[in-house]
Amino acid sequence: MKWLFFCILPLFLFGSCIEIIDDLRINSDGSGTFRYTVNLSASKIRINSILALDSVDGRRVPDLEEIRAKINSIEQKLASKPGISNVKTGQDYNDYIFRLECDFKSVADLQNAVKEIIAEESKDTRMEYLDQDWISLSGNKLVRSIPEYSIDRKNNLKQEDVDLLKKGSYVCITRFDKIVDRTENEQANISANKMNVMVKTNIFALIENPSLLENTIYLSNSK
Amino acid sequence: MKQFITFLFLGLAAGSLAQTSEDYIPRDAVTVFSINNFTLLQKIPMDELVKYEFMEEVQQELFDGSTSGKTLKDSGIDFDQKLNIYYGKGKDFEVSGFSFGITDKNLLFTVFDDFDRVESPYPGVEFYSSYFNHLVIAGNVGILLRVDPNYELVEEITDSIWYARGNGYPWMKYYQDEYNYEGEYEYDESAPPPPEEEIYYEEVPEPQSSGTVFDEENVDAILEDDVEEDTLDFPVAESDPGQKNYSELSDSVSYSLQQKFLDRICTELFMEGINLKKADTRFARQLGHDSEGIFYMDNSRNFQKEQGFWYFQTMFPSLYGRIEELYTGNVILGDLKINESSIDLLFEANYGEALGSIYKKLTDSKFDKKILNYIPENSPAYFSYNVNLREAYEQAFDVIMPILKEEQNPRVASSVLTIELIDEFLNKDAIFDTYKGSMFGSFNGVKKVMVERIRYSYDEETFEYTEETVTAEEEIPVFTFGFSTGRNDIPEKVLNYLQKVTRKISKEGDVWKIDKGFLDAVPLYIINRDGLFVLTNDEDLVHRNTSGYGSQKISKKKFRKARKGGFVYAYVDWGSAIERLPKEVFNQKQQAVVEQLKEDAGTMELTSSKTTGTQTKFALTYQFDGEYENTGKYILDLVNSLYILSK
Repeated sequence: MKWLFFCILPLFLFGSCIEIIDDLRINSDGSGTFRYTVNLSASKIRINSILALDSVDGRRVPDLEEIRAKINSIEQKLASKPGISNVKTGQDYNDYIFRLECDFKSVADLQNAVKEIIAEESKDTRMEYLDQDWISLSGNKLVRSIPEYSIDRKNNLKQEDVDLLKKGSYVCITRFDKIVDRTENEQANISANKMNVMVKTNIFALIENPSLLENTIYLSNSK
Repeated sequence: MKQFITFLFLGLAAGSLAQTSEDYIPRDAVTVFSINNFTLLQKIPMDELVKYEFMEEVQQELFDGSTSGKTLKDSGIDFDQKLNIYYGKGKDFEVSGFSFGITDKNLLFTVFDDFDRVESPYPGVEFYSSYFNHLVIAGNVGILLRVDPNYELVEEITDSIWYARGNGYPWMKYYQDEYNYEGEYEYDESAPPPPEEEIYYEEVPEPQSSGTVFDEENVDAILEDDVEEDTLDFPVAESDPGQKNYSELSDSVSYSLQQKFLDRICTELFMEGINLKKADTRFARQLGHDSEGIFYMDNSRNFQKEQGFWYFQTMFPSLYGRIEELYTGNVILGDLKINESSIDLLFEANYGEALGSIYKKLTDSKFDKKILNYIPENSPAYFSYNVNLREAYEQAFDVIMPILKEEQNPRVASSVLTIELIDEFLNKDAIFDTYKGSMFGSFNGVKKVMVERIRYSYDEETFEYTEETVTAEEEIPVFTFGFSTGRNDIPEKVLNYLQKVTRKISKEGDVWKIDKGFLDAVPLYIINRDGLFVLTNDEDLVHRNTSGYGSQKISKKKFRKARKGGFVYAYVDWGSAIERLPKEVFNQKQQAVVEQLKEDAGTMELTSSKTTGTQTKFALTYQFDGEYENTGKYILDLVNSLYILSK
């Protein structure tokens, strides 16, 4: 989900290259599995350099224990949300790859859980963007979009951040146990087995234009 | 510091040195930079000046289009007079600004065009204000002043008024946000509700609206009025939108204090003739030097302002007094000398005899020639640092322990006993022979290494992805760092132990290797032999000759310079060092500084004198390739670099 991407934005602004995989599997009954992977291995020398410092650009650098504690805290919070189960995280501090995975009963449960965690973690008291729905499933139609929150962040980006973000990639995958009939996003690719949709973009382009990942996917009735 | 640098360059935009401009430096100034020869900068176009980052904070206020097509010469500033830039932070407030001579007031106000005249309570003195800055003109001298009360003081008074009004904890809302989700702390439901987030703008009295704003009694009255009207029936501010909320109250207190402290400074400067030059003869003497600029920093007052010492002062006043005595006379004085193709910064660190005796012992060390074998001739940057820790420890023990022993407080007595027992029981010979206190380091450029990274590949059929390890080339800095030791056997024992508990550490010949020990990317090597303990990631050194760089070591000329460079010596060839620094290490902002330094490439050398009982001298020489007329720009570029890096 994009929310995590925006939560960790300050982290990858320090990195020269980041790869994010946002992988959503949706079953016929509306339940599913969400997997989110952040791969910072291409920036590990830089991250190791940064972690050796107290602060960078006036921003305090958290130590590994703090990062672990924060991820564990989010894992626990997510696990306590209604309709969410089997929450797992993976934290590889050699290659700096982080994974989050959970099952959900419905996309609404997933969305609510994410919104609640953002509200809990955010220091921003203006939560208008939480009124927006980012994902909805209705019959054979799935609509995905990106939170308005990202637009605020875009306005705050400096040129050096922009240059770094252009090197990163964001891969959004949506999987079904049905055949995909068509998608509205022209950048989307449908897998050879017709059951998965992928949209790939660089992170800067995504921040510049949050609608890049917006997609409405229509499923056929046949499996 | 940033504010100081900002004002420094604001000063460069304005100032020169009048006969009496130095008579208008508040005695509260702790750091002063005084430029004698300001003519160097007069040809610099203001449009160019305002492009410097250090001008960012003031250019909107002062140079909003009013500088177009002008040079500093057009600013009405007297270049025959001194420009004094000052900064000081005391217990109650922070003061910063500069003083300069004026030749043409009208021209000056085409630059300082955002300042509005306000009524002055001081005869013969004109006052102008713009937001937080005040421009005062006394005769042919301009003084730019900014006074900010310290946050702790503002908070203390605000809290006092806030609670006296019967209000509850002002940050309860944030307290709730922080803790309630965990369920560990419950919010007391009976407590008053958190304040409504209601925004309205308060009318803040403008300084020009009344000539009495500098009246201390009036300031006190403001504070008293605030308290009195509200303590009658203890209303809760949160429930009364007519009352100030916490932030508004804090702003009012801050403003009142600002006026109070500004009045104190101005009264001293313009009515009583009290200033730093009169208060400190060392500063007055330094002003008499004929160098292009002088520097003054009173470290003893920096010691006093340290927040930790305020606690110390409260808990152990007599001990604090004795420690303060120890720091008496701790002043750094400096001269800036501009030569044909170099800039010399000559500093002397002065201190009292007691502290001086410790420093003297500390720097009474023999230069270890062996370290130079590990600095290659082509190293663009290296340093050596030679101190005698053992002698300094013994001297510090002799100087400080009697002070501590005089203190009657049981906590201090307990600490004294602990220190004395440790001193008795520890094997000081082993400790100080293992690390004598001398060290060195060199940056040897960069090298390309292959680093593994993870990449995801996607199956076209299902878009399932799998990790694959690929290698990519990256640049990392190559360095050598080490220290002298008389006991190679002790670190050897530690390394032998570590070898048994982790596979990352192994011994190859007479070199220890820590696998991926540097940035988790390349091996780090330890050479522990012949009285040196050396850490390096330079494979050439390790695989070719562990006793040093041999014929490629530093030249005899450089060797002699380092040996004679005193207890601390450093050399940087900017052009070469910057060229060889890996760009990936820097962010965009730092890269901008690097590019700027590249243009001004030269060499920088730091040397130190032998320490006497009361003084150590340092010389920082910046040798550049440019012409004399560019010196002003060099200074601006260097200071701008410092500003950017300190931001």
